[in-house]
Amino acid sequence: MIAVVSETSKDHDDASVSTSSWYEASARQRVEHLLDANSFNEFIGPEWRETSPHLPLFDLPEQFDDGMIVGYGRLGGKPVLVAAQEGRFMGGAFGEIHGAKLTGLLRAARDMASVPVLILFDTGGVRLQEANAGELAIAEIMRALIEARLVGVPVVGLVGGRAGCYGGGGLIAGCCSALAVSEQGRISVSGPEVIETNRGVEEFDSKDRALVWRTMGGKHRRLIGGAEVFADDTMASFRDAARYLIEHAPSMSLSTLESEQSRLAQRIERFGHCSDAVDIWRSLGAAEPENLPALHYREFAALANDLQEPRHDAR
Amino acid sequence: MTTWDNAQRLRESRKRAGAPYAQGKRVAKKDATALLEAVIRPGDRVCLEGDNQKQADLLATALAAVNREKIHDLHMVQSGVVLPEHLDLFELGIARRLDYAYSGPQSQRIAKLLFGGKIELGAVHTYLELFARYYVDLTPQVALIVAVSADREGNLYTGPNTEDTPAIVEATAFKDGIVIAQVNEIVDKVPRVDIPGDWVDFVIESDKPFYVEPLFTRDPGAITETQILTAMLAIKGIYAPYGVQRLNHGIGFNTAAIELLLPTYGERLGLKGKVASHWALNPHPTLIPAIESGWVKQVHSFGSEVGMDDYIRARPDVFFTGPDGSLRSNRAFSQVAGLYACDMFIGSTLQIDLQGNSSTVTADRVAGFGGAPNMGSDARGRRHPSQPWLQAGKEADPDSPAALRRGRKLVVQIGETFGDKNVPLFVENLDALKLATKLKLDLAPVMVYGDDVTHIVTEEGIANLLLCRNNDEREHAIRGVAGYTDVGRGRDRKLVQQLRERGVIRRPEDLGIDPLDADRRLLAARSIKDLVRWSGDLYAPPSKFRNW
Repeated sequence: MIAVVSETSKDHDDASVSTSSWYEASARQRVEHLLDANSFNEFIGPEWRETSPHLPLFDLPEQFDDGMIVGYGRLGGKPVLVAAQEGRFMGGAFGEIHGAKLTGLLRAARDMASVPVLILFDTGGVRLQEANAGELAIAEIMRALIEARLVGVPVVGLVGGRAGCYGGGGLIAGCCSALAVSEQGRISVSGPEVIETNRGVEEFDSKDRALVWRTMGGKHRRLIGGAEVFADDTMASFRDAARYLIEHAPSMSLSTLESEQSRLAQRIERFGHCSDAVDIWRSLGAAEPENLPALHYREFAALANDLQEPRHDAR
Repeated sequence: MTTWDNAQRLRESRKRAGAPYAQGKRVAKKDATALLEAVIRPGDRVCLEGDNQKQADLLATALAAVNREKIHDLHMVQSGVVLPEHLDLFELGIARRLDYAYSGPQSQRIAKLLFGGKIELGAVHTYLELFARYYVDLTPQVALIVAVSADREGNLYTGPNTEDTPAIVEATAFKDGIVIAQVNEIVDKVPRVDIPGDWVDFVIESDKPFYVEPLFTRDPGAITETQILTAMLAIKGIYAPYGVQRLNHGIGFNTAAIELLLPTYGERLGLKGKVASHWALNPHPTLIPAIESGWVKQVHSFGSEVGMDDYIRARPDVFFTGPDGSLRSNRAFSQVAGLYACDMFIGSTLQIDLQGNSSTVTADRVAGFGGAPNMGSDARGRRHPSQPWLQAGKEADPDSPAALRRGRKLVVQIGETFGDKNVPLFVENLDALKLATKLKLDLAPVMVYGDDVTHIVTEEGIANLLLCRNNDEREHAIRGVAGYTDVGRGRDRKLVQQLRERGVIRRPEDLGIDPLDADRRLLAARSIKDLVRWSGDLYAPPSKFRNW
């Protein structure tokens, strides 16, 4: 029952793969360039036309893959399962079909118990038009993800798309074995507009993009241990990050959770009084914290490694 | 007996009335409103400086706080109605009559006040037209202006955002008006003198820098593939064949895409050095890659752009900079440059009708014109020849003897057939007509008149209106690039086909352009961060444009 999709793309030569932007790419381009060439096989591809049963009720356009691409392929010659969200369709939001495809992939990973999973997040959270189905999908995905991890499957999240990783996506990311994030990537639960709407512009000005990024963006997440690897915004860098994290993903047990709990407690103790991310970076020992957002990839990656060793599990 | 110095004596009495609030020329911020109450008289023509970029915000607040028993019925003559205070003046009865050019963010509220009769409208102008009237029949009696710094003699440094200030002060100071400046700081010596101190009567130090809107910053991240296609069509179908070297760009995403395609697509077409070298243009951040790649020889600017100052300072060969190293912009001169010394204007608009008239007015918004009608019009007084100008003139009028034929400025409208929120770009009748009826205006606010437009570019192709020989051809040239809008579907297929055979309409395939090549990877920069990198970290984008 496996549909083999052979994607043809004119830029599949190595030079453009290594330089092309992850942020700019579509979900299909990301999958194609992340995995070994021509190794991807899609489950329930667009030709199955498994579209959302909810969107037509709102007279909204559907997409044949419902914004979620799942399948298997090879990374560095080794088998992997892959799920990728298309941030340009409904902001990558989770709906019934979208979520079910990821749940199914994670359950397959649990049953196989040997093949790692990569989740290419690009989502604003649950699709509002499918509220309950979407929320249920998030819960099912988290359960399936933990079950897979409990049998030793590494589940690695990659965050660097336009929609970021918000809402239920943020919760699922928090369950992953490890995360890689680029500067453009954002990880959070409540999005900037949601916070502003509920708590006022004094609490959080969603139009102040620099504030949004220094609070939720990749650099900050890397510095406070919310992501293990800081990736450059290229296909090649995310590919390297994925291979590294699959190799180094921690296992999942009660003691993992206990140490995670204590790390989170330490974090709130250490940074709870800070009113801005810049204060946190200063107390981490950054010499010129206000210049940190302007640093280029290599400078920042080196600085981040100096300031704080990646501490997995505590996001 | 006739007296010939009434205005001078009035000026002296205004100065005397203001003197108690001043030490030398310096007035404390807390006395700003009292100074204005002392100096301004009911019914005065007042210019409160502000345009689509910088704002005399402190003075706007101070003027809105005057006692309307003392000051009322003012006639505001100013470029921009932009700050809420600009309209508060009319709601409070401090001002009654208005002549202006631009009202971006206040376009909805100004429409309401016009409908409600709170504003007595003189006219909506272009910038240059309003400046011209400052010297004929709308000379300000009081000008409230804005600069970066002043010294004790009142010499002003405007910084890179010089903009309208010289034009306003020249008219006011030399016709016995009073000039009051707000400045960010008072210093011992200004970095350069933009306005001589003896033209300035009072100076008020503000406690925060004046507001500047980053209006000319377009995030490459938001440029769509359809916009890229229109940009490719424009470059290959207009820039290249006419060899357009001297030009002005609008502020839309289509022209931002053109700027970002010059170093990639333009380079591939071998156009470097042959097109787009001399500009009347604000310092668009999206022009950075073209500058860095050696495409751009010279840029004169109307104003500056937030975050571009250090970059401009480091590229004095390209920009107009003062002895202090910073940009000196000048809206009046740059508008003149756009009118007389540019061979092309290209910009986007909201509505185009069947005659090619275009407008950014919708039924409940009066956005004003700014500079676009001046950029987007043929200068009938132009006399110097240039290749694009002569070629356009020849296409329009092939039968006249060459030596007696006028050239034509290329005036190009570019956009997608369906714009923001899927609103059609092409309409049978402009909303501007409805507005004119509603407000009983003599003229509908048309941004660019159809008889000035030479080309319309959409994703469906280019319509060359110069080659149309009658109204029917013109209408079908427009319908022929109007896509699936009602106007586009109303086309006569046969006539459109004939126009295409004559090269009046050119499709992407006629130009050898594959729409599938219109890919964001063609953009020299795909994010604001890319622009920062291109600039060697000299461009410092404002917070709202950063995603880092």
